[in-house]
Amino acid sequence: MDEKRGAILAELPRLRRYARALMRDRESADDLVQDCIEKALERIDNWQTGDNPRRWLFTIMHHIFIDQLRKVKRRGAMVSISAQHENAFVTQPTQLETLQAREVLEALQTIEPDRRSALVLVSVEGMTYAEAATVLGIPAGTLMSRIARGREELRLQLEDASRRRKIRVVE
Amino acid sequence: MGAEFTERDIHLALDGELPAERLREFNVWLDAHPEMKLRAGRFDADRQRLRTALGPVAYEAVPGALTETILGKGSERTGLKPWRRNAVAAGLVLVGLLGGYLIGVSGGVPGQGSDAHASEPVAERAVSAHVIYAAEKLHVVEVGADQKEHLVGWLSKRVGTNLSAPDLTAEGFDLVGGRLLPSGEKVAAQFMYQDRAGNRISLYITSAAGGSETGFRLFERGGARAFYWVDGGFGYAVAGAVAGPVVEAVARSAYRQLLNAPARG
Repeated sequence: MDEKRGAILAELPRLRRYARALMRDRESADDLVQDCIEKALERIDNWQTGDNPRRWLFTIMHHIFIDQLRKVKRRGAMVSISAQHENAFVTQPTQLETLQAREVLEALQTIEPDRRSALVLVSVEGMTYAEAATVLGIPAGTLMSRIARGREELRLQLEDASRRRKIRVVE
Repeated sequence: MGAEFTERDIHLALDGELPAERLREFNVWLDAHPEMKLRAGRFDADRQRLRTALGPVAYEAVPGALTETILGKGSERTGLKPWRRNAVAAGLVLVGLLGGYLIGVSGGVPGQGSDAHASEPVAERAVSAHVIYAAEKLHVVEVGADQKEHLVGWLSKRVGTNLSAPDLTAEGFDLVGGRLLPSGEKVAAQFMYQDRAGNRISLYITSAAGGSETGFRLFERGGARAFYWVDGGFGYAVAGAVAGPVVEAVARSAYRQLLNAPARG
């Protein structure tokens, strides 16, 4: 197995985790990863082994994610998945997912996608601002404000969720 | 008076983007501004929740379709096309969980070669786990061989049998350490070995309750292969991306040692 393919394999667990944060349900997340590695393999010759494989792969995945969002927007068909619709359809929680985890993942989905990706790259994937800004193709200042707004939205969503939970318990 | 900060600095501090000398002053400022301190605490707690919720995804078994795409060899047995995989993959997962495992392990058709089985989940998972973790430079194992006793005790407890990490020095491989992995709804133990050239081979063990015992079999995918067997309710697989005879020699040695291991509890 050549070095480049090995490097892609080694990034799969993280790519899947980032995709899950972006897409929420396991199938669409793994679809995104699949599209990402297919594109990466097409371009594997352009990739210099000295380049950081993580940054390279995350950048590819980000472009695919953005393209998909644009298509959805143009079709205008998809309903946004948010905690407000929690009874409208059943999401597919993975096994062993606790209420706590489900709540925060659902709250994350209500955050505007640009902010969601910025927040997750830094908070969960542990990227520096410089790395995350490169992956997302935006200036560091823009990244910074997306993270701040994203965090604030997440905080409000989680407060809402915990309020709703308390009301339900009282009922 | 201390330096002035704003809410912006809360994010910088949390994300490790505030220089060390500013961080000290920032913490003094935070102590003097309770509402900002509360906010910083909330952001920190929310981040922890996110990490707790998403962290385990990185330890899930990676779907075979993904590793196969990278290794360049699709599964010839099912003729699975990457873009057709969704419906099929969902079905496969279900079959895997509901007993496809048993069919796979015990349902081999004699005389049809190593690739004749409908599926060999233990071997397949062992190969997937191997290619992922053997490629890791820094985090190849969770617990290193320097804590062998702890490692073996911990994995034995989680997998539910008295494990032992075979001694493969005669074959040129030393124990690097091991890790716990998900395997369907159960768990699996992986012991990682390495030779002087840096080649890695791993031993994968998971519960195979109800599976009939098998002899020694070969599974191959991409450039990686696994020799596997089922014994005493547990499935074993020795996986590696090195030459077949090397993996086989290691696997036979592991097989002999594990079959002769003290009775399992």
